[in-house]
Parts: sequence; structure tokens; C-alpha cells
Amino acid sequence: MHPVLDILKDKFPDAVLSVHQDKDRGDLSARVKAAHMLEIARFLHDDPRLAFDHITDVCSADYPDDPERFEVIYHVLSLPHGVRLRIKARVTEEHPVIASVVSVWKGAEFMERETYDLMGIKFSGHPDLRRILMPENYDEGYPLRKDFPAEGRGWRSSFPFLPKMDETAAVSNDNEVPEAEKQVFRAEVGAGSTRRTEELLLNMGPQHPSTHGVLRVVLELDGERVVKATPDLGYLHRGVEKLSEGLAYMQIIPHTDRLDYVCSMTNNYAYVRAVEKLLTLAVPERAEYIRTVVAEMQRIIGHLFWLGTQALDIGAMTVFFWTFREREVLLDMFEKLCGARLTLNYFRIGGVDSDFTPDLARRMNEFLDTFQAHINEYDSLIANNRIWIGRTKNVAVISAEDAINFGLTGPPLRGSGVKYDVRKMEPYGAYDKVEWEVPVGKNGDTYDRYWIRMEEMRQSARIIRQCLAQMPQGPIIADAPQIIPPPKANVMRDMESLIHHFIIFTQGFKPPKGETYCATEAPKGELGFFIISDGSPRPYRMKIRAPSFIHMGAFDHMARGYLISDIITIFGTYDIVMGECDR
Amino acid sequence: MAELALRMAFSLAQITVVMGVIMLTIMVLTLAERKVLGWMQDRMGPMEVGPYGILQPVADGLKLFFKEDIVPAGANRFLFSLAPILALVAALIGFAVVPFGPDTTIELFGIQFKPFIISDINIGILYILAFTSIGAYGVILGGWASNSKYSLLGGLRSAAQVISYELNVGLAIVGVLLLAGSLSLVKITQAQAGWFWNWYVFAPPFPQLLAFVVYVISAVAETNRVPFDLPEAESELVAGFFTEYSGMRFAFFFIAEYANMILVSCIAAALFLGGWNAPYPGTALARMGFVQFAWVENVVWFAAKVYFFLFLFFWLRATLPRLRYDQLMRFGWKVMLPIALGNILVTAIAAYLFPR
Repeated sequence: MHPVLDILKDKFPDAVLSVHQDKDRGDLSARVKAAHMLEIARFLHDDPRLAFDHITDVCSADYPDDPERFEVIYHVLSLPHGVRLRIKARVTEEHPVIASVVSVWKGAEFMERETYDLMGIKFSGHPDLRRILMPENYDEGYPLRKDFPAEGRGWRSSFPFLPKMDETAAVSNDNEVPEAEKQVFRAEVGAGSTRRTEELLLNMGPQHPSTHGVLRVVLELDGERVVKATPDLGYLHRGVEKLSEGLAYMQIIPHTDRLDYVCSMTNNYAYVRAVEKLLTLAVPERAEYIRTVVAEMQRIIGHLFWLGTQALDIGAMTVFFWTFREREVLLDMFEKLCGARLTLNYFRIGGVDSDFTPDLARRMNEFLDTFQAHINEYDSLIANNRIWIGRTKNVAVISAEDAINFGLTGPPLRGSGVKYDVRKMEPYGAYDKVEWEVPVGKNGDTYDRYWIRMEEMRQSARIIRQCLAQMPQGPIIADAPQIIPPPKANVMRDMESLIHHFIIFTQGFKPPKGETYCATEAPKGELGFFIISDGSPRPYRMKIRAPSFIHMGAFDHMARGYLISDIITIFGTYDIVMGECDR
Repeated sequence: MAELALRMAFSLAQITVVMGVIMLTIMVLTLAERKVLGWMQDRMGPMEVGPYGILQPVADGLKLFFKEDIVPAGANRFLFSLAPILALVAALIGFAVVPFGPDTTIELFGIQFKPFIISDINIGILYILAFTSIGAYGVILGGWASNSKYSLLGGLRSAAQVISYELNVGLAIVGVLLLAGSLSLVKITQAQAGWFWNWYVFAPPFPQLLAFVVYVISAVAETNRVPFDLPEAESELVAGFFTEYSGMRFAFFFIAEYANMILVSCIAAALFLGGWNAPYPGTALARMGFVQFAWVENVVWFAAKVYFFLFLFFWLRATLPRLRYDQLMRFGWKVMLPIALGNILVTAIAAYLFPR
């Protein structure tokens, strides 16, 4: 038994119902009594032997036939010890209440709100328990419950809260934030610095040039200074998690493309890795190398996109066009590789779709030859620019403790000096076979996060170069006829292949009963997929741990006291993509 | 009576020509800006309308002309309509005292008039400063009357910015005025004749280099251009004070911005870079014997200097990020103002010790 589970069991002999160590997948989990959740959470966080300082995710699953219907699932991570733990607590349908852990991990605030919103579990002691992804006045129930119809409720016209097509919209001359709703966006009394007679609530988004999609932030302003910033998410909520409960495992891959649509390769990667972990399926070595190469290409693309937009937000227009010039070259290579440029759908469970040809490797090497100079070129425009430094240094500072407590990952966490990278902590792909470093910042400000992403591009280039040099020959997809569709040529000639083909495409493959969480380092942070399988060809529950969503939880903390102009910088420094944030 | 009518006719003709040239320059500028930015950013700029996109300004103008004119609900209709007019008139009226060419006098029908300046008043520079300040009202009123928070914030920023940087513009040119001993742009330009080291930016006894830098930076700030385009900061305030404007009203603000750019460039050329004077004494054409065409060379030199500044505006836009509001104010009050004041002090002492 893993020491963590022993310590937990010893400390709470009554509250911990059972502990489990998954032999095949390495996941640790513990079932606890809901009444003791807060106590256990505090112990997990505070005890130095455990030090689960980072909250990865909070989600829930619905088992309608069980006496205690809802399971609230917490994923926590101990950064000092590099251990993940899953805590599960059951609550009943009649009384779906569990103590909020926001007082332990501040990052749980948004995660618990999401759980409340989609599953209807109430967290007692939560500071601001409102719907987050669904509209505030949504009264159709809780979408992720199993008795909520997956097919939807018909056409647009059957939803009373949507404006009718042939009806002219009611002209409202109100302020953009209705009087009744104002209270939630207001800071506590005394948060402003000067004496005010009336606060100014500024509605930024969902239509705004630089909210990176359809994000709405309501700012309470004291002059130009932000007193409180309340993100209002969910304008792009498509219900991907609900949707995937009705799809076979293979069919979900294209949906992951549309999460973080700037970096669909890494979404594919994160998802297929989770499924492979569930299946305990080994991937051929060549496929691992190809995956690493394309994931790093995608990281470069993502960071180029981020750099361009962040610079554009701050007003430096030229960087945007220069970064898109290089992005274009890489997108062309993706097009050559898999026929698509944005929504790639390139990964397959057990491997990849098509081979990385020598011609592509040559083009990639040619690109890398000049890429270093191009990064220096961007740096020449902004790195030493007084205005750029003035706009990014000491802006949106977050300390290491706060960054961990809010559950930040990726560059926002590393900017504060925490050396956490999934690729190093739990190496996958070919990351443990090549040499590279994790850049870490010091001050936790926007400039450090900028520097980290620039440095990550250089490291990605390094990884790609080594991978291309080391890439072995061999198959690009695993040999597992029960799971992986046979090649089309065989299907036409070989009876056995035809049968497998037929079964996989009509029923889908059936993974074993079980559950697993798998984290992947996406350009934006830790992208995790938590899959519960009940042995059927469709996931029973799939939870996406979207870094953008969790980073938005720290938005108010990071924005308070800065100016309106800095709000834009903070959007940029998170590198949020609303497709992923709202799912 | 006949003389008055004739004078008015001459003035009207001059105004028509100057306005025509300014409007044409603005059209060229809108295209030039997009082309120059395009080249600096590894792209082509507009290419669709006409060969190499040269008819783009015409298409833009037509489009704006036919756009629906929208007044937002709850806006103050009168001020909302007045603001763009105020901005444009203030921007254009300053050209009345700008000397585009040499200070020659022509006699026509028994009346003497100066062909290259509409009105040679002896307080030319004060007149320009006064009217550019009125232009700020256009921006502020436009922001306030729109009944939109973004516009309001844009207007507020603009008010603060104009006050801070108007002061610097005014103080930066005091050095030149001290050396020239006149407020008339014609007199100031005349005083810089001869070799280029007579231009006030280099001129002994005390070169106005610092004042020139302060002036150029403040002028960029005054015209709301990058990196000081906070009142219209696209990524923050959508479009700032003209967020709610559409059609020709929007075009008025747009033209006013470009007209202001030209105006501040003209003043910079006249005050610091010798105006119509060539960098060498006299004109090459006059030396070659074409005395009657010497004015062509003068006008070309003036235009070249103005276009140099206009290019600088584009160049800055392609290079620099935007300052933040507090940084802008700090820079204006804590850096620019002391430099401008110090410059006045030193220039005054120098002018006293070495009278020209």
C-alpha cells in the first residue's frame, strides 16, 4: 500500500471508508465520508508528509441507482512529493450538500461552482455559489445528471429565455449590468482606496476586442483602478462532457480538437493518453516520438499565437504579424501531415493517424534552423523595450504560494518560481529520452511569464531536433485488434480484420471498468482528462480539467488594484482560450 | 469695397487650395500608413482596389459616406453631433497660419497678397495652440455625449492627456520663440535661413535638440497616436471616445486625427527644421537662374520635412507597444515637463549672453 494511503487511513480510521491503489495505472484513491471532507482536506494540505498543496480538479459523477447518488471527486496533487490522490465522497439526492474546501484551496472556488452548476451539489461555506457555465436563470435542472436528456429539449423556440427569431428584441435602455444583479459584482465595503460616491461597473465583454473570445468580466472601478473583477464564463459552453457520454471513445477525439482550438494537437494527445491509460495500452516507440514532435510543434504554435495576441493587446502590432508568419510555416506542415491546419484530429488511440515522412522531417529541420533567429527577432522588438517592460514588469503578480493554492499550472505557475511541469514529473512520450530544461521565473509577474514562454519555444525547438534525430523506424500505431481498427486494405481481404472493423465501428471497443486521471502538459497548463468507465463502449463520465478555466479562478486575485489596461494584460498572460475554458 | 471683395475672393481661393491639398494628403496618408505598416510587418497592405490598392482611400470614403448614421439611445444628441465637427474644425483651422512656402508677395489687380500663407498674423503659434486645445473638446464631448462607459473613459483619458501634453508642447516651443523673438511662423522660419545649422534644432547659441525631442513626443501624444493612443486604445476601450460613432461622424474624427498629424508636423518643420528653407543657403533653382521657380524648391523642402514627420508617426506605430495611463501621466509630468522647463532656462540664459 502506498504510504500516503496508509497515513490517511491511520489518521482517519472512521472517516476513510476505503483506499485503493490501482496497480495497472498507478492512481491512488480514497473513499471518504462526506461529513469529514473539510477536515480531511485540511489534513491533506497541512501535513508535511502529504503536503497536497495543489488542487487539480473537483468534479462529480452521478450513479442514479445507488443509495448515495452523487460522488464528489477531488483530485489533489502534492508538488513536493509528486503524488496525485483522488478523494471521493458520496452525497444523497435528498441532501446533496458537502463542505466547501475553498478555505483550504482557493482554486476550488470555480471548480465547486462548476460542480454545483452541472450536477447540483451544494457546497456549504462556499463564498459565492452561483451557476458558472450555464446562464444564471437556467432552471432546466443540472445537465450532467444522468436523468437529464442528452438529446436536448428541442428547437430554439422551446427555450423561453432565448429571444425569438421573428421577434424584435426588447429595447432596454438600462445599464449593461441590471440593477438587481449588481450586488454580486461589487467588492466588499472598503476595498477601494479613495472615497467614492458611486461605483462604476464596467462590463467588459462578451463582445470586446481583446477578451480572447466570448469572455465577460464585470469590473468594479475606482477611477481606472480595478476594485473587483468578476469573470462571467459560459458563453461558449457546448456541453462537451455531457456530449461525450453519448459517444464511443474514438468519436470523442474530434471534439477535443475544439477545446483549445489554438492547440488541438495537445488536446488530442491529452485525451488519447487518458484512454490509453484506462486501457493500459502501450504505444509503439516511433509513435511516441512523432507524438512528442507534433506536441512540441503545437506548443510553438500556441506560444507564437499567444505572443502575437499579447503584444497586440499591449499595442505592439508588428509582433503579431511576425509570429503569424512562422505559425503559418508550421501549420503548412500540419496540413502536409494530416490534411488539416486547425482542428487536426491527428491522434488515434494507440498511435497516430499518418507517418511523419522524411520530407516533413527535412522541412522541420529547415524551419528550426531559422527559428532561433526569429525568436531573437521578436525579442528585439519587445524584450528590452521600455514600454513593454513597464507594461509587464510587476503587473499581475502572484506569489508561489498563491499560485499553487489557486491550482495554477503551466507558465502562470512556473512564472512564480514553481518548477512543476508534467513532462518532467510524469514523463510521457519521448520527453525522458531527450535533454531539455524547464524555465522557471522569479517574480510571478507578466514579464516572467512572457520570458518563460519565449524560453519554452526555444526548449521545444531543442526537443523537436533531438526527437527527429533519434526517431526510430517502426509501426505508428499499436497492434491491438480489439481496440484499434485494422488497416482499410486488410478489411477488404481478410475476414478477421473485417469482423474487428465491423465491431469497432458499430459498437466501439469496451475498456475495462475503472477510472483514471491523466495529465498532459498543454501549452496553457495542465490539461487533464478524468474518465470513468463502466465497461461500456462509451465513457460513463468524462471530466476535462481545462487550465484556462482554473486560471480564471485566480483572475480577481490577480486583477485587484491594477488598472483597466492591465486587465487586458492578464487575459493575455493566462493565454486563455474560451473553447477550453467553457467547454 | 471692391478691394475687400477681391481680398475675400483671394482668401477663399487660398483656403480652397489649402483644404484641397490637406484633404488629398489625408487620403494619401490613410493609404500610406497602411502600406508602410504592411511593409514593416511583412505583408502587402491594401491590394484590391485599383492597381496596388491606390484607390483604397476613395473606397473607404465612399463606404463611410453611405454608412448608417447611428445615435445611441440616451446620448446627448446635440453634443454628440457637435463633437466631431468641433474636432475637425479645430484641426483644419490651424492651417491658416502655416507658411507652406517663401514669404513672397504677389500683386494682382492692385492688391498685394502672400500666396503661401492664408493669414500671416503675428501671433501665429499662439493661434495654433489655442485651436488645438479646442479640438480636445471635440474628443471629450464626443466621449461624454455617447452615453457609453468606454467612450466616457476614453474622453476622460483624453482630457488628462491633452492637459498634460499641451503644456509640454507649449513649453517646448518657448525656447524657439526666445531665440526668434517672434510668435509669427513666417518670422521664425525666416530666421532659420542659410545653412542647416541655422535651423533651431541645431542653432547656436543653444541648440533646441531637447526641446525638439520633447515637442515630437508631446505632439505624438497630443494627436492620440501610438504609443500614446490611450483615448482610443483598441484593445482596452474598444475604440475609446468614438466607440459609438459611425458613418461620416466617425470619418470626421478620423480626418481630424490625420489633419492634426499634418498640422503638428508642419509646426515641427517650421519651428525646428527651418520650414521652407533648404539645408543650404538660398535655393538651387535660383542659382541655376530660375529665380521665378525658386518657390517650387522651397515648397518641396517643406513637404519633405512634413512627410518625414508623418513617416515617423507610422514608424512608431509599427514599433512600440502602448503606454499605460499612469505611465503616460508620470512620463508627461515627471520627465517631459522638467526637461522642457530646464530647456527654457538654459535657452534664456544663452540668448541673454549671446544675443544674435
